[in-house]
Amino acid sequence: MKATPAAEAVASKPSSGSKKTTLATAKKILASGITEAEAIDRAKGGDGEAFEMLYGLHKRRVYSLCLRMVGNTAEAEDLTQEGFLQLYRKIATFRGESAFSTWLHRLAVNVVLMHLRKKGLPEVSLQETLEPQEEDGPKKDIGARDNVLAGSIDRVNLERAIESLPPGYRIIFVLHDIEGYEHNEIAEMMGCSIGNSKSQLHKARMKLRDLLNTSRTEKARR
Amino acid sequence: MQANAGAAPGRENKMTCAEFQQELPYIIDTGGSAEQEAHLRDCKVCADLVQDLRYIAEQAKLLVPMHDPSPRVWDGIQESLEREGLVKPRQARRSFLGLNS
Repeated sequence: MKATPAAEAVASKPSSGSKKTTLATAKKILASGITEAEAIDRAKGGDGEAFEMLYGLHKRRVYSLCLRMVGNTAEAEDLTQEGFLQLYRKIATFRGESAFSTWLHRLAVNVVLMHLRKKGLPEVSLQETLEPQEEDGPKKDIGARDNVLAGSIDRVNLERAIESLPPGYRIIFVLHDIEGYEHNEIAEMMGCSIGNSKSQLHKARMKLRDLLNTSRTEKARR
Repeated sequence: MQANAGAAPGRENKMTCAEFQQELPYIIDTGGSAEQEAHLRDCKVCADLVQDLRYIAEQAKLLVPMHDPSPRVWDGIQESLEREGLVKPRQARRSFLGLNS
């Protein structure tokens, strides 16, 4: 896709930022010289070229979201495809009340959640929350550690650790800490309580802390 | 400083680590009560834990999308749109603009 680097950069920002960039988003200039807002209008009328421009502009972010949520390349590509197909069918309902990227992102999240629900994964994770396991509970005898993580995490390690999270934890972590959704939004999307969302996020961060500490220790041994 | 696993002698009214960590999921992003903040000031173990968890959250916010989907995704979209009759077959046989395949 020949979208300008600036346009690609805007499209790649996390959703928490994109919610604040409605005007900037609307003014993005695509390769053909039209703005994103114009491309949206044309795509609403069934213009395939305009739709392809929108795909080029948003594919990376939608795909990354899917990949982080499901942790599998082939599945993520199928979901990206399904997300954009739904976009084509539903774009006429986009009213511009939020940034287009925010709207598309929410659509993509719903596609992934629907897919995971069919596989039964979120239900498992919510059950885990309702029946906390001993290992997930507060640690009463942690003991002092020599170091904190600060300054020791690099992007690759963090991505790898996120990939190895149990699916239920990973979904909440990706939605909240990476994509910038609030707990009330996650609760609505996942059909759980806000407390559940907070509890799952905390468990995800605790698990990541363990994984990152293990990775750091192994690295130090080499 | 050691974890305050139980109420230490003379500190019966102080919050324990277990009590603090039980509430942590609900206060870490918003801030806690005066008692919870006091525990955090006094307990290095819990302070380190909170610091780590906040650091992880901060680093996660910096992750940006890194990878593009393969061309097969766009091909699949075109094929589906053609099959459903949403675009003309002539358009669907190849990229609308030739940019995403």
